[in-house]
Order: sequence, then structure tokens, then C-alpha cells
Amino acid sequence: MTGTLNRRGFLASTGAAAGALTFLGPKGLKAQEGQTLRYALSTYPPSFDAWASTGSAAGAIKLMIHRGLLSYGPDGALRGELAENWEVDDEGAWVFTLREGAFWHDGSPVTSADVAWTVTEAQKPDSAALFQAQLALITSVETPDERTVRMVTDRPLATLPGWFAHYHMPILKDGEAQDSLIGAGPFTFDSTERGVSIRLGAFGDYYKEGLPKLGGIEAIVYADENLRVTALEAGDVDLIEYVPWQAMQQIEDNSSLKLDAVDGPFMYLTFNGSRPPFDNPLVRRAVAHAINRDDIAAAAFYGRGGSLAHLPIADASEFYQEDLSQGWAYDPEQAQALLAEAGYPDGFDCVMLSTAQYGMHQSTAEVCQAYLSMVGINVQLDLPEWATRVQKGNDGQYDLAVMGTTADNNDPDGLATVLDGSLPPSFVRSYGMETPEISDLFARARATFDLEERIALYRQLEEIALETTPMTGLAWRSQGYAMKSGIEGFTNLPGQLTFYSPITLEDVMAG
Amino acid sequence: MIRYVAIRSLTAIFLVWVVVTLVFMLLHLVPGDPAELLLSQGSIAADPAAVAALRERMGLNDPIWQQYLDHLGGVVTGDFGASFRDGAPVAEQIATRLPRTLEIIIAAAVIAAAAGIPVGTYAAIRAGGRVDGFVNFLASAAMSTPVFVVGSVVILLFAQQLRILPAGGYVPFSVDPVQHLKLLLMPAGTVALALWAVIVRMSRGAVLEVLQRDYVRTARAKGLGRGPILRRHVVRTALIPVLTVLGLEMGTLIGGTVLVEYVFNWPGLSGYLVAAVDARDYPEVVGIVMTISVIFVFLNLAVDLVNALLDPRISLVRR
Repeated sequence: MTGTLNRRGFLASTGAAAGALTFLGPKGLKAQEGQTLRYALSTYPPSFDAWASTGSAAGAIKLMIHRGLLSYGPDGALRGELAENWEVDDEGAWVFTLREGAFWHDGSPVTSADVAWTVTEAQKPDSAALFQAQLALITSVETPDERTVRMVTDRPLATLPGWFAHYHMPILKDGEAQDSLIGAGPFTFDSTERGVSIRLGAFGDYYKEGLPKLGGIEAIVYADENLRVTALEAGDVDLIEYVPWQAMQQIEDNSSLKLDAVDGPFMYLTFNGSRPPFDNPLVRRAVAHAINRDDIAAAAFYGRGGSLAHLPIADASEFYQEDLSQGWAYDPEQAQALLAEAGYPDGFDCVMLSTAQYGMHQSTAEVCQAYLSMVGINVQLDLPEWATRVQKGNDGQYDLAVMGTTADNNDPDGLATVLDGSLPPSFVRSYGMETPEISDLFARARATFDLEERIALYRQLEEIALETTPMTGLAWRSQGYAMKSGIEGFTNLPGQLTFYSPITLEDVMAG
Repeated sequence: MIRYVAIRSLTAIFLVWVVVTLVFMLLHLVPGDPAELLLSQGSIAADPAAVAALRERMGLNDPIWQQYLDHLGGVVTGDFGASFRDGAPVAEQIATRLPRTLEIIIAAAVIAAAAGIPVGTYAAIRAGGRVDGFVNFLASAAMSTPVFVVGSVVILLFAQQLRILPAGGYVPFSVDPVQHLKLLLMPAGTVALALWAVIVRMSRGAVLEVLQRDYVRTARAKGLGRGPILRRHVVRTALIPVLTVLGLEMGTLIGGTVLVEYVFNWPGLSGYLVAAVDARDYPEVVGIVMTISVIFVFLNLAVDLVNALLDPRISLVRR
């Protein structure tokens, strides 16, 4: 219906509506249920593969169609979805109890057999699932009855529930294809124009009473970030993801729009630890102290972000350590002293890998280059397009590199992907940089269920990281959703969970 | 004539083969692994086992010559294969996307020719005058302003300030014809502006040159009116180089509307090609480049033939 609405028609109908509303009173202006929301995607999902890591735009679509065993609520706390209860039994196995009244979009009920099948399929070596390696630690999945799933692991795993809350790990119906669009989520797949848009309708048998409040969603791709903002301002769409930083102020200043932004994703530097000079922890720490991070937030993110001089653990997290938060603070004198101690009193030449494809990566690299030159480190920038940058990062063809990402969730275990050098080479972490103490602490924290004990282990891990600097944090960056002020119920989830936010679309009402 | 067409067609096929082979080789030479890229979306570390499994599924572990032969075999039979990303048939995608790009180009060419040829002709008649100077100035300005600047200004003006057109996007003609044409207006107009400048300059130069020919003077001397001289003897002859340029420009535009498609969110072939290169989706890239090169090569052939029809003195056979 909304797809055929044109500007003139809109003006005419709003004029008529405005006249009518004069008599109706303010009640008529409130957000209503049953509307179609026009959601501006930043890119078309490269595939609908449910378990593959296909990006946050694909994640948004998955969160509309699918549901996992668990998810995160608007406050960022773990909550049940297809599972209403989850706990570790006496033998150390995770037991999930499924809720009653959950159905697939084809009308059949969600059972423990579906969960068991999902785990078995996704843990196969050729599944290409994001959590394939983790799921492989599950040695057997038992289904004592239709509503109970018992997962036996080869070691204690405190972090297992987090895997099943991830938007790339939804439960699929037994026997469905990996890119099936039959889910148990609040919206059903209606149609798609590849590369252009995806239409979804409300699922009448969704397991949450009274949800979804929307009648449907039309997800339209606006790849150009500026056009995405223009489309919102012009009224072509109701809600946009990935608000560009330069547009955040103008959206805040616009009374008919609202912005919901959180600091979640972060920028950092990775090092090539397989060769001098960055195989030396003193040199890496010198780099960490040489850069004034405030300028990165200002130059790359228009002030929408903040300095990050420690591990990317948000100050709202129970794992945050106030006294360690300035561990890599800007201190050029200390940087020079560390360089001298490492045997480079006059600095050295090196190559910094970043990409010209994304402005924030390039700007971050340029700020780092400027500050490093002040302590004598002569940086030559290498700025290929993204695909080449990924390849060079995986192959270690750099001395140091600019990266940006989010962790899997707000648990520090989600940082293993960035910090754990025992994992296979990847462009998201330093190359050839094994720190056995850090890998060991990650493993121990994963096997520990007591919160206080885990906090202590991660504190120890952060202390070692600040000392050895296997990477260095640079800046938090603000991640925003913007919408018409009449949209109610959408929440940008805190911290690293920002890309999980489309889960709240089930609560959204369009004005 | 038939011999000429046959030779030109064979050359064209050879050229297309060269292009496809070059593109295939270049794609495999530049860094970037399609499987790795697909699985590391959102800057997430892909699991090496998952990447290896996907590479196997994509057929990337086969020897390079075998991949090349598979590709070529597919191309010859018109089967461009399936997208690495989601398995969508490439030929079908091209069939969907190509008409959208052609639509912009043809609409732009029509606007540009309709507005450019009369203006250019008029400027030639008034060569050296004030109107001529003004037209020259406009054409220079239009030619030297990049499309993304024109596009952004147009969006600012018509979508944000005046709010009479949508900011961008695409609706199929079959779904909503009015909205479809509204959405077409800005991208086509933006492309048309630069094209208009080229046509104005070409037609002005060509008309000016023809006006000085002997047969025009003769026609004038035997008392023919100004109108008939322009219509029958001047513009018709002057159109030849203009059409040649228009044809070539249109060919270039098939792969060159990237920025316009991007700025106006128009899901055409150029944007598809850029996305495919970004993702290193080999079957898509080869399929699209092949399509574009076939069109370009045969458009050139068509321009030659049309020229021959307009002016029989153009000989098709080399003497």
C-alpha cells in the first residue's frame, strides 16, 4: 500500500487528514498497530544463509524472519525466545526448555527435534556456519521429550547460551535448506526484488501475544548513506540503519525525526608480529601511547564516538576496570622512551594497511600516521579497496593495520576474535601474534560459571593485554538508527549488541 | 555489404572473447577471495574450515584452466552460471537489470538529442553571436560538472527542498507506472545533461562545417529558402557525426552509469557490476562484462550501418 504512495498523493491525503484530525483531537496522531514499516537497509543481504556470517543488514532480515533459542532484550540482558528456560545440569550439560506455542511459518510446531537438527547441521565442517567451530565442541544433542534439548559438551562452557542468542545462529526447521525463509520469527517472507527490496508480512501465530504490532515491513536497500538520510527526511522511508556520522546532528535538529545511537563498534590497530619491528611488545606499546585518540573520534566520526585507550569493554559492563581504562593513554614522551628502550631511538619506516573504500578507515589511518610521525615512526599508508585489504590482512602483508569491528556480544569472550592469537590468521586480529597467557585466560574464563571469578580472570587478561599490546584500541564509534518521531518501540541495543537491535521491530508501531 | 557485416561480426566476436578472457584473468590476478569475503561480512573473522568448504562448493579449488574452460563453455551456451553469493542465476539477473540501465540511457539520449540538436543548430546559425556564446558556456558547464554533483544538487532541490520527486529508488513500471516515471526522471535527466552538452557541441560544429560547403552555397544561389536548405542539405548531413558520437556515448554509458545508479539508488547493470566486483563474484562479473562488451561492439556496428544509410557515399567495402 505504502509503495504506491506518491509525494503529491501524500500531501493531498495528509492535508485531508490534517483537516479531519482537527476534529478528532490529538489521539489520532498516535502510533498505530497494523501499519507497514519502510525500513532502509544499508545493503542487500549477500545471501539468506541462516547461519553464515553475512553482515548486519542480512542480520536485520534474519531477526525479522527467524528466532534463536535466546536473544537480548532492549536492556541488553539475555532473554528466552524459542527456549523459555536454560541451565546447566549436574553433569555440566546445557539444558534448554522450549516454550509452548511456538510455530513455524508453515504452521507446524517448533520442537526439540528442530533444535537438535539445527545444531547437528551447523556443526558439520562444511556448513559455513559462523559458529561451526564452537558448535563442534558439542559432542551430542539429546531430546528426551518434545520440549527439552540437552547439549553435552566436551568441556564446561559458560558462554554457550551466547552463541544461541546470535542473529547468525537461528533455529531452522528440521530438514529445511540453510537459506530457507521459513522461520519462527514475527514476520513472514512475502517477496523480494533481488538487490532492491524485501517485503514481509506479520506472522499471525507468532509466539508472543499481541506481537508483532506492525502489519508488515518493506525493507528497501539504500546503499548510499547520504541518500538513506535524504529518503528519511523526504518521507520515503520510516527508519534507517547505519546513520552516517556527518548526518547525526541534522537528524537531531529535525523535530520530525529522532536518532538512537550507541557506542558499540570500535576501531583498533593490529600488528604484524611475525617480523620486526612489531614483534617487539615495547614497540607496540610505544605505538599505543603515541596516538591522541580524541582526534580520531573528531576526524573520522565527527565527534560521534570516544577515545578507547584500553580493551573494548564498555564502562557499563560489569567487566569494566576503571583503573585500567587509561592503560594506553596518549603519552608521546613515554612512547619515545619505549622506542629507545626497544632499540629504535630514531624511529623507523613501516607500512600501515587500511582501506580507501571506507572513509572512517582512511581517516583513522591518517590521524595515526600524523601522530606516529611525531615520535619518529615514518608510516607509509597502503589504502587498497576492501577485498584486497582483507586478503592482505589475512596474509600478513603489512606492518600495522587499521581495523574496525564489533565483538559478538557484550561478554569479554566476544573479544577473543580480536585478541586470541592462537586462532587461525585473520584480518581482524594481529598477524603471527601468539600470546599464550591471553589464550589460556580466555579458555579458563569460558569454563568458569562464577561471575566474580570470571571478572577476576578478565581483569588479569586486560592487564596482560595492556602490557604486551597484541592490538591497541583507538576509538569507540557511534552506531545509529534514525526514524520518524512517530515510530515507537524501536530500541538500539547497548554496546556491542547494536546490530541485534532489529529484534525490537516486533514491538514497533508506526505513526 | 553482406561480406562487410560478416567480417565485422567475426571481429566483434573475437573482441568479446578477448574481453572475457582478459576480465577472467584480471579477476583471478587481483587479491580478494570470494569465499572469504562472503563469510567475513561485518568484519567478522571467518572460520578457515568454513572458507575452505565454501571454496570447494564454488569450484575455486579446480585448476585455473578448468575454471576458465567451464566459464567459456557456459558463456558460449548462454549459461553464465550462478552467483557465488546466493546462487541466483546470473543470466536472469542480467535480463532483469539490463533493461533498467538501458531505460536510463535511452531516456537520457532522447532528452539530450531532442534538446541538443536544435540548440546546437541554432547556435551554429548564430555562430559568434551572443546566443552562441551563452550556449557554449552552458555546454561547457554541463560537460565539466561531474554527475554525482549534478545528482546531489538535483536530489537536494527536487526531493529535499521542493519535495516534488522521491529521493531515489525503483518501482517496476508494471507495479506503478507514474511512480516509475517519476523515479526515472532525475537519473535520466542527470545523465542527459552531460550528453546534451556533447550533442550541442557536436551538432554546432557539424552544422557550421556543412554550412560552408559548396553545395550549400549553390543551393542558396539557385534561390532555395533557408528552411529547406537547413532541413534537406545541412542538418541531415550534419547528423552523421552527431549520431556516431551519440551511439558511442550510449555504448560507454552502459557500463558507465555507476555513479548515477548509485546516487539515485537505481538498481541497474552498472551498480550490479560494481557490487559483483566488490564481492569478487566471478560468474556475475564475467557475465555482466560479456553482456556490456557485446552490446558495445554491436552498437558500434549499428552506428556504421546507420551512417551508411544516411549517406550512401560512405563506402562499406575497403577499396
